[in-house]
Amino acid sequence: MSDKMDPLISIENFSEKPNKINLLTKRELERQLNIQKRKDDKELLSASNEKLEIFEAIFAEKKSYIESLIKNSRNLSKNELPDHFNTISKEILTLQKYVAASNIFLRHYDLQRCQNTLQELTNKAKYLENELLPKKKFSFKNRMKEKDVKKEKEDEVDSAVFKPHVPAIFNSCGFFNRSDETLNMLPSEIFRKDVSLENLENCIVILKGTASTLHLNHLKNCKVFTGPVSTSIFAEHCLNCTLVIACQQLRLHSSENVQIYLHVTSRAIMEDCKDIAVAPYNLDYKGVEKDFENAHLEKNVNNWRCVDDFNWLSEKHSPNWKEIPEHERIQRWQEIE
Amino acid sequence: MGFLTVLKKMKQKEKEMRILMLGLDNAGKTTILKRFNGEPINTISPTLGFNIKTLEHRGYKLNMWDVGGQKSLRSYWRNYFECTDGLIWVVDSADKRRLEDCKKELFVLLQEERLSGATLLIFANKQDLPGACSKEELRDILDLDSIKTHHWKIISCSAVTGENLLEGMDWIIDDIAARIFTLD
Ligand SMILES: Nc1nc2c(ncn2[C@@H]2O[C@H](COP(=O)(O)OP(=O)(O)OP(=O)(O)O)[C@@H](O)[C@H]2O)c(=O)[nH]1
Ligand SMILES: [Mg+2]
Repeated sequence: MSDKMDPLISIENFSEKPNKINLLTKRELERQLNIQKRKDDKELLSASNEKLEIFEAIFAEKKSYIESLIKNSRNLSKNELPDHFNTISKEILTLQKYVAASNIFLRHYDLQRCQNTLQELTNKAKYLENELLPKKKFSFKNRMKEKDVKKEKEDEVDSAVFKPHVPAIFNSCGFFNRSDETLNMLPSEIFRKDVSLENLENCIVILKGTASTLHLNHLKNCKVFTGPVSTSIFAEHCLNCTLVIACQQLRLHSSENVQIYLHVTSRAIMEDCKDIAVAPYNLDYKGVEKDFENAHLEKNVNNWRCVDDFNWLSEKHSPNWKEIPEHERIQRWQEIE
Repeated sequence: MGFLTVLKKMKQKEKEMRILMLGLDNAGKTTILKRFNGEPINTISPTLGFNIKTLEHRGYKLNMWDVGGQKSLRSYWRNYFECTDGLIWVVDSADKRRLEDCKKELFVLLQEERLSGATLLIFANKQDLPGACSKEELRDILDLDSIKTHHWKIISCSAVTGENLLEGMDWIIDDIAARIFTLD
């Protein structure tokens, strides 16, 4: 399939054509690269810190430059202002691009902090522009609308917590509205499918084999065991549950007191959760290796410790999740034997 | 000549377009972008901030902005509206539970003054899943026919199989080009 995508070439992938560089320069380049690499290896540890420091410095400098531009707005004449505000938004855009380009080595909270700063700058500039150049009638109206929408959203979030709702789902694969049962699906029933578990209480669910994706919604006092799920697992409103799961991405929302024995090949994230505990996936059943292959998940790559909490912006460990200490981990799952 | 005119002229010369990809978390935005670009898709993590990719396609330079869709990130979306030529709204067609959310967020965006000129492509993604809604169903559920403010089109696709991704891109590029680049 990917060869069909040929016409789209990333500019980042363009390298200089070797025949255009004469050999000597090339050798010199290689030599320098080698020196650089040795230096890099040696400084591998401090390197990312250093990068971060440079980034912080440049970001701070740019930020105060933009702030000074904004401050200066009041000293300008009316006909200078349109260009002035265009310059400001261009500067903000450039800074945004710089943050994006540094995405790789920035930590989650660095990014969030930069985002906040960028937003503040944008807001300040917009506010001043509206004040000093009040030509647009619609801006006030728009702002009112935004406020209303935001309010609506908050109300909804409050009322949705742990309140089961009627699933609007027909002809779907999975289990809905069950309690006090052991629920089982065969590998052939879930193979490459999107599977849902919704409104379950006091249930044990066993899904060996390889689903394509899995949704969990409103589970209370449940235990869920799965084979490797080839894309993401999306879980919302899980309360007092144990999940023994493997996937490419785990996305956990609005859940509380959940023990997760996790295999995740990219990353897990959580939002509005508390009392989450993680340990490495330890489900072993006949054919599990084959299932990992079928799901295109690496059995040797498990980032179960890489949990990003979207509600936690500090450098310290999030209080909302922890690792289960080794001696407290459950070693054998009788439920699936 | 005003600054914006100069900027527009520059853009015309370089045939550059700015395309913003938005949608709920887990919709498949980043996967679509990487798939376009022929990069591996199985190592993609949920997006914490945003990704920018510059692609070249049919002589156009596409600046693709892919912004994370988690609830806590949606308030930052507005930071990216400026100068957007095209908006790609990505939908997880199999996530029936959140289609109402999806519709609400889309219609909030469409009221946004700064996106008013943008072409809108709706990607009905994850069509490889047996539980996925068809694009006709989505058109109904998301009430797309009520959109009168933007040029729009819905295209079903799968980032996993690659189905229809090029078709979608070609449509949005053609629509933008017809609008912002003069025929000379
Ligand atoms: N089956 C299937 N899965 C898909 C498809 N597109 C994406 N996915 C999976 O959906 C999950 C989410 O994809 P992402 O690309 O990370 O989603 P996103 O929209 O960027 O999400 P955020 O970054 O949180 O906003 C991943 O596990 C993908 O592998 C598709 O077409 N079919
Ligand atoms: Mg993403």
